[in-house]
Amino acid sequence: MSKETQNKINAAKKKATEKQKNILEMLKSHGAKIYDDLDSGKFPKFSIPSRSVGNIVYDKKLRQYILGNSVAVRSSRNTSQLRSFTQLMWLAFFANKLTNEKKSSTLRDIYYSSQAFAIEFEDQSESDNIIVDLEAVTSKPREDFHIFPEERSSIFGDLTIEYTIPGYEGKTMNLSNHPDGYSIGPSLTTAELVDTSAEIVIAIEKGGLFTRFVEEQIDKKFKSIIINTGGQAPRSTRTLLKRLHDEMKLPVIVLTDGDVYGEHIAMVIKSGSANAAHLRELTVPDAKWVGVWATDIEKYKLPTIPMTESDIKRCYDLQKDPRYQDGIWKKELDVFLRLKRKAELEAFSKYGLTNITDKYLPQKLELAKSL
Amino acid sequence: MSSIKEKFNQISPSEFFYRNRDLAGFSTPTRSLYTAVREFVENGLDACDQKEILPEIHLSIKAVEPDKPDPKPYILTVKDNGPGIETKHVPLAFGTVLYGSKFGLKQARGMFGLGATMAILYGQITTNKPVSVKSSTDGKISDEFELLLDIQKNKPVILKHKTKEVSKRGLSVSICLEGDYSKAGAKIRDYVYQTSLITPYASITFEDPKDEKFHYSRIIKTMPKPPTIIRPHPYGIDVETIRRMMVESQFEIPVMDDAMMEKVRKDLGLSKKNLSFTAIMAKAKTKWKNLSRQVRVVVALMSFLKMDFEKLNKIRIEDVDITNKKLTYWDFGDSQSKTVDMDSESPYYRQLANTTQGETLTAFLTKRFQRVGPTTAIKFAEFAGFKPEKRLGTMTNQELVKLSDALQKFGDFMTPDPSCLAPLGEEPLEKGMKKFFNPDFLAVIQRSASAYSGFPFIVEMGIAYGGEINTRGIKVYRYANRIPLLYDEGSDVVLKVVNDIDWSRYKAKGDPPLVIVSHICSTRIPYKTVGKENVADRQEIERELKLSIQFLARKLSIFMNKRGQAEAAKKRANLYAKYIPLIAQFCTELSGKKKEPNYKKILEEEMPATNE
Repeated sequence: MSKETQNKINAAKKKATEKQKNILEMLKSHGAKIYDDLDSGKFPKFSIPSRSVGNIVYDKKLRQYILGNSVAVRSSRNTSQLRSFTQLMWLAFFANKLTNEKKSSTLRDIYYSSQAFAIEFEDQSESDNIIVDLEAVTSKPREDFHIFPEERSSIFGDLTIEYTIPGYEGKTMNLSNHPDGYSIGPSLTTAELVDTSAEIVIAIEKGGLFTRFVEEQIDKKFKSIIINTGGQAPRSTRTLLKRLHDEMKLPVIVLTDGDVYGEHIAMVIKSGSANAAHLRELTVPDAKWVGVWATDIEKYKLPTIPMTESDIKRCYDLQKDPRYQDGIWKKELDVFLRLKRKAELEAFSKYGLTNITDKYLPQKLELAKSL
Repeated sequence: MSSIKEKFNQISPSEFFYRNRDLAGFSTPTRSLYTAVREFVENGLDACDQKEILPEIHLSIKAVEPDKPDPKPYILTVKDNGPGIETKHVPLAFGTVLYGSKFGLKQARGMFGLGATMAILYGQITTNKPVSVKSSTDGKISDEFELLLDIQKNKPVILKHKTKEVSKRGLSVSICLEGDYSKAGAKIRDYVYQTSLITPYASITFEDPKDEKFHYSRIIKTMPKPPTIIRPHPYGIDVETIRRMMVESQFEIPVMDDAMMEKVRKDLGLSKKNLSFTAIMAKAKTKWKNLSRQVRVVVALMSFLKMDFEKLNKIRIEDVDITNKKLTYWDFGDSQSKTVDMDSESPYYRQLANTTQGETLTAFLTKRFQRVGPTTAIKFAEFAGFKPEKRLGTMTNQELVKLSDALQKFGDFMTPDPSCLAPLGEEPLEKGMKKFFNPDFLAVIQRSASAYSGFPFIVEMGIAYGGEINTRGIKVYRYANRIPLLYDEGSDVVLKVVNDIDWSRYKAKGDPPLVIVSHICSTRIPYKTVGKENVADRQEIERELKLSIQFLARKLSIFMNKRGQAEAAKKRANLYAKYIPLIAQFCTELSGKKKEPNYKKILEEEMPATNE
């Protein structure tokens, strides 16, 4: 290991410890405020950015949705908020423990863990909601508190990482060692990105195509890291994409099915979702959607299937979204609406299984440079 | 004509009631037993009420042969601590139909004491056993009678009479009658229960055939003010009643016999001396104020006849023709009819006119009716199209009908005088209900008196919620003149009014544990049927009931609101007690403190006051 690499690792370690320390400090200060309120005979309360539809606005400069200025006060005096107040306090307490002990847990875990205390969640959606509250109060994604969604997203390619999770600290791994790819879970998300020979990140919507890309050695042929987003990219995957872009200076391109949902998967990677408007640091504003475009359907004479009513409705909804007002986003959306047909990535198989990797992908990579 | 009249007279009142006993509630053994209980208990309570004695009623029903199946003979005994009945009245009171002291216009539970005699009659026909009456008016000596009723002659037959030393005043009546307690029992127990509720100043004990005792002790020691007897109100008076009242106001010309003469002499203070006509008249003038009507009439006649007592003895008055101002008499001495003129200006003429033609319309109205003054009377006369000085006795049949109609239509009569009514009063009602139901909420109201068709009435009502009331839904106890109404609930006006209320508007949702006690007092309750179990929906009564219930329901709603607030406060406190300690625990760990914050202060502040 070169000295430079060692320095880099040390710097990263320091950064991770710093981050953890920050999180813990923040939780502590929130806790202390509530402690003081109680101790002085006051009902504790805190404010939280409102996540109501009216308070979600698109920030053109940041190129993502953010929360507006409206703030809701959660007070423990209000009995209709008391339960969720307590739940949030428990979650902060629990997240504090997780962060402290460097343990991770899933959303499902949170739902069950609560039952050990008197703070039962009625269902997971209630507990998920409280987790979003915690994110909103702290402006930090849940992953920072070691809370992860179920894993369904994976990564493959020449990328060396170093774990930071307990028991694996300092251990490194190259992500091209296992052809099925590596799931993007807590250990990977928190790992330090050490080194890569890749020059681009290709995010692809579907597991099937991901496998094909690995088989066809796209990682080598195009010096790329391949990521399977498994449909709409999970937060951890989006975080990882951002880090690959920001820390490793890799461009990100997104390849999806040729339909309105695919277009939006790319958009969320690029500029986030309204659901996560309370969070920053989840977007890759420079990410590029390279296909499958609506215009590709005609250009490549792809076999299509008709759009469903909900597809069409989705098109109309997105037409109102400020991010779809210009460029290819608007153009492709309009074409989808005109065609009223869609094509999957697998449609290229009509022209041979490797058609997509041999013909389509190179053309798109070339095109991406000019986008 | 006379033969028909005789035939009618041959049916005695006893016989009449015997033939129509269904009407009086003695149709089946079940109904009869229940009715008999009611009649005797109500008589006992009425007797005590009239003498303002706090009643103690003891009721017992025992089977003669307990093992026999129903219906079978029962011995029904009702004992009270009332004034008792004087020895000489006992046989007549219990051995005659239509003998009683409860006449006159005032509120009482029963009328005329008719029902009790009916019960005795019924007992006698079904078991052929005499009624046993024990009465003590002084609390020392008791007269004990065994009586049978001679139905055809409507006369008592005394089988036994003895006296005994006792220590308590009161009356005890015991009859043997055919009854069905297995069927009537529930109603009788209900009756005793409900009677005790509306008579909280009474102590009532009921011993049933299975030796079970139901005792309702006295809840309050003050009795409601007794009603007074008053004159009728013009509304609700029909032609027949006017006729009867006219008879009362009109007098026959007295027969001038020796006894009459003697009375006149005595009243004028002339017992010894035989004075001349002029002297008599002078004497009469000075004594006029103190003279009785009869004597005045004689003096008036004398003034026109210009005779002294000796001459007067020899004539007979044949006709007093007020209209033509002629006085005709038969002279025994001359054996012929003679006529003298009467001076219509003379005060004596007015006296005679009064006597033979009755009172003037204004006098009739002001003297015979309640709350009619001279001004109103004159106004009325104008309204009815009569001269105020028109005499009742001169009215034709048609005119009487016109008068009766006008009495109903005239709008300026004052409302009836309620002093003849005896409502229970808010406090006794409230105390009774409190003792009976021990509710969480209780409110009562006594409306001021109102009237329908000339009969005054007062509505009293109470409402109780929660506590020991375990019924689901609304239970209504209906009373009329302190008698519980147990049958025919469905068609009663009280039920109608209760059901018309949207209780959810008053915060009593679902099937609230609610008791309503409704008491209507009136000199005449407008019953729907002869059974006297349901009150007809007279507009005026319905209105009073509605206003009462709305008033009470509003109070209930205030209570429910407060209670809702208290419950919410309690719920809130519970929530705080559950969650605040957890928040304290979590924030202690979060902030890395060793000791939990002192959150007790918050919890104490939020605890609802316990004495709410």
